[in-house]
Amino acid sequence: MADQVDTMSDAELRTKLAEHGFPIMPITASTRKLLVKKLKMVLDNKTKPRNSVDKVESRRSLARYSSGEESDLDSSNISKEKRSRRATTGGAMLPPVTNKSRRIPLKKDSPIKRDIDKGSESEDEKSPVRTHEEVETVTTRRVTRTYAANDQDDYETGSDSDVDAEKKPSSPLRSSSRSSDYISSTLPSNDPSPSPPRSSLFSRPTLSNTNFSSSLSSSDHLNSIRSRLGLTSSLADRPSGSSFTSNYTSSAFQPSTSTIDEVESPYLSNFTRRLSSLKAEPPKPTTFLDRDTTNGSPLIPRRSFISGVPRSEIIDYKASNDKKFLKNNLVSLALVALVALFFFCLVFMYIVKKNDITSVVDDQNSVIPICQFNLPGHRPGFNCVPQEQVIHAKNLLKVIHPKLTECAAEYKCGKPGALPYVTEREIIDLASARVDVNQCRKDLNNLQVLLVNNPRWGINVVQTENLYSPDVKYIPITSVDMVVQQRNKGSVALALSDPSTPISCLFVNTLYSAGTTIAVIGILSVLLLGLQRFYKYYIHCQKKKSEEIYSMVEQIIDVISQETEDSGEPYISVDHVRDTLISPQNREKMSSVWDAAVKFIQKNESRVRMEVQSVDGEDCRVWRWIASHNSPKRSTSWQGQAFVTQEGSVNNLTVSPTPCLKIRNMFDKNDTNPNLRTVIQDVILEKCERSNILHIDIESASCCVYVKCATPADAGIVYKNLHGWWYEGRLITVKYLRLERYMQRFPGSPSSGFYLKPSRLRRTWDE
Amino acid sequence: MSSTSQKHRNFVAEPMGEKPVTDLAGVGEVLGKRLETAGFDKAYVVLGQFLVLKKDKELFQEWMKETCSANSKQSADCYQCLKDWCDEFL
Repeated sequence: MADQVDTMSDAELRTKLAEHGFPIMPITASTRKLLVKKLKMVLDNKTKPRNSVDKVESRRSLARYSSGEESDLDSSNISKEKRSRRATTGGAMLPPVTNKSRRIPLKKDSPIKRDIDKGSESEDEKSPVRTHEEVETVTTRRVTRTYAANDQDDYETGSDSDVDAEKKPSSPLRSSSRSSDYISSTLPSNDPSPSPPRSSLFSRPTLSNTNFSSSLSSSDHLNSIRSRLGLTSSLADRPSGSSFTSNYTSSAFQPSTSTIDEVESPYLSNFTRRLSSLKAEPPKPTTFLDRDTTNGSPLIPRRSFISGVPRSEIIDYKASNDKKFLKNNLVSLALVALVALFFFCLVFMYIVKKNDITSVVDDQNSVIPICQFNLPGHRPGFNCVPQEQVIHAKNLLKVIHPKLTECAAEYKCGKPGALPYVTEREIIDLASARVDVNQCRKDLNNLQVLLVNNPRWGINVVQTENLYSPDVKYIPITSVDMVVQQRNKGSVALALSDPSTPISCLFVNTLYSAGTTIAVIGILSVLLLGLQRFYKYYIHCQKKKSEEIYSMVEQIIDVISQETEDSGEPYISVDHVRDTLISPQNREKMSSVWDAAVKFIQKNESRVRMEVQSVDGEDCRVWRWIASHNSPKRSTSWQGQAFVTQEGSVNNLTVSPTPCLKIRNMFDKNDTNPNLRTVIQDVILEKCERSNILHIDIESASCCVYVKCATPADAGIVYKNLHGWWYEGRLITVKYLRLERYMQRFPGSPSSGFYLKPSRLRRTWDE
Repeated sequence: MSSTSQKHRNFVAEPMGEKPVTDLAGVGEVLGKRLETAGFDKAYVVLGQFLVLKKDKELFQEWMKETCSANSKQSADCYQCLKDWCDEFL
């Protein structure tokens, strides 16, 4: 179907295109091939669904790849099938019809592609020798391949000349002779179409080249891609081939190598096809990669076959390995866990031990002043302890220690009324349950002596400040004498020196303090936020007010200028202005704004002067509009006319002799504006919009602008509009110029056609 | 395309007259030479082709690619340039 497209007449082509929804357009020599190509593409896409495999791959130009394959599928000889496949791919790319149609794919080749072809051509010169070596060792099938490659060489020169001759497309004689050459040099089953087989066969030598000489320097990056490609496929190919030749006879394994090639060849032809349409489809690499993976998958079993171990076994081995590894890890993990546990226990024990008072008390390092009755200074219960009383004192300590801890904890937790110490009275009350009070008293005295001597025990003898005061202050007593002194006052107590807080209590305390902090922060932030809001509001109000004032000022000035202009009086009463601007119901409300506006005008407005005038016999404040008649807005560039050029003046020529003008002094010699030409052009065109100007050019050397109008009458208009005007401080003079001189100077200037228009937008232009 | 090139603006600013093909946006020296060898030596010849292709963007870009191996950016620039010119002056 695609063949017919090439031979179609213009009318047929047009109807076909219309069928496929293309716009009907004239078919000329230059558009025809484009349209033919489009139609082919559409037809290809429509015929494609026949074969699902190739649909995606050869969207562009390979319509009949699949059909060709089908037709040759029955061929028994593998090598023949291989070759015919190559041929059919070629045929698919290019139906050998007319000269015109052949030019399409050729032209499609980018210069890059041509480079590739040339590059691989040079490689090709070396490759046949190498492939011969390869062929001898591996299979007989390869012989045909190299044979084809050699054919290719002959054929290649022909096609190469075609590339050169491409600039002169009309050479039917050459192309026909080429195709006949080709037919004679290759087997008859080949489709005699030149260019596509060239590319598909080219990949073959490149592949073998990279197979046997790995250090191949490719000049082009595309070429390198191709060779890399060849390498990837050869990775699978090479080991299998070598192992086969070393272990077995080559004939025995011929089928298997042929399967390799079966895997390879569509791959390569696909790739070369891709290469041929490389320029047309940039996002190819991704699809190409896809194909790479799919092509690679059938190679995997072969690889495992080489290694001699089935793939599944490898997986099993790997899995068992993993298990072993896990086992080893288990031991080490257990060790780590044990160590962690050990340290944890250590810490725990340390914590527990710290609180264990008995172990501390029974420590041998404690200082125990034993009373020796032969020494005079020793008084039991005051500065020493009798030997037999030590154990009782220690027992008492063990009894009261829980109570002490409890008191300290309660105090730390902030329980109301809790004290951090235990007084003597409480201790005696506690202990008298077991022993009698006197013994208890004695024990307590001894204990106090011991405690003072052993600060390490963690319990202080303290002196309470005031037993019933709300703030529980106490001072640790460090000398036995002090104890005795305070004991008489009855203000001695025991307290833990560094009481530890219970965890729950700690938690509550932390929560409480955190809550307090958060509350404080919250209040502060709310305050800040409010402040910021207020500030913003204040700023907003200020802004609004000032805006109001400014708008009021503007209104006032408008009113003043308007009224003074209308009434003819140069002043206007202030109150009158207020009454015109502000409606009665708003006057009270707006009074502050009004006052501010009045003040502003008095201060900052130079065009308005406030004075007192007697209006109708009454003195009142008035605003006088002292701005002189403000000049009408005019262009910055045109500053007025120096002398008259209207009808009848001496400067006016009655008849314009030529359509060309020369304008002097419009710009400076050292004008550095890069867009000078456009600026001047625009300025002139805007000034002389009623005349038809064909051409404007400037000459920087003589500071002249040359203008060419459509008719002499137009030139006259331009002359009148420009001559004698001030432009940016320079006086312009215009002279007529003879057309011949003008054409001499600007030979390329148009003599008719479009009139120039200003390039920028129309500016407001008051004259 | 958010903004146009200076070349584009210059071309669209005025009638093309006898401008060479290289004055078209997207057509540089190389493409200009290729177009000239293909017979498209003036901008108005390209305009003619542009009009023959009925201002169809796809076809025009395809044609640019075939004729002077323009890439898609170049051909899109050229197309836009001619289109704007036509909108302005035609």
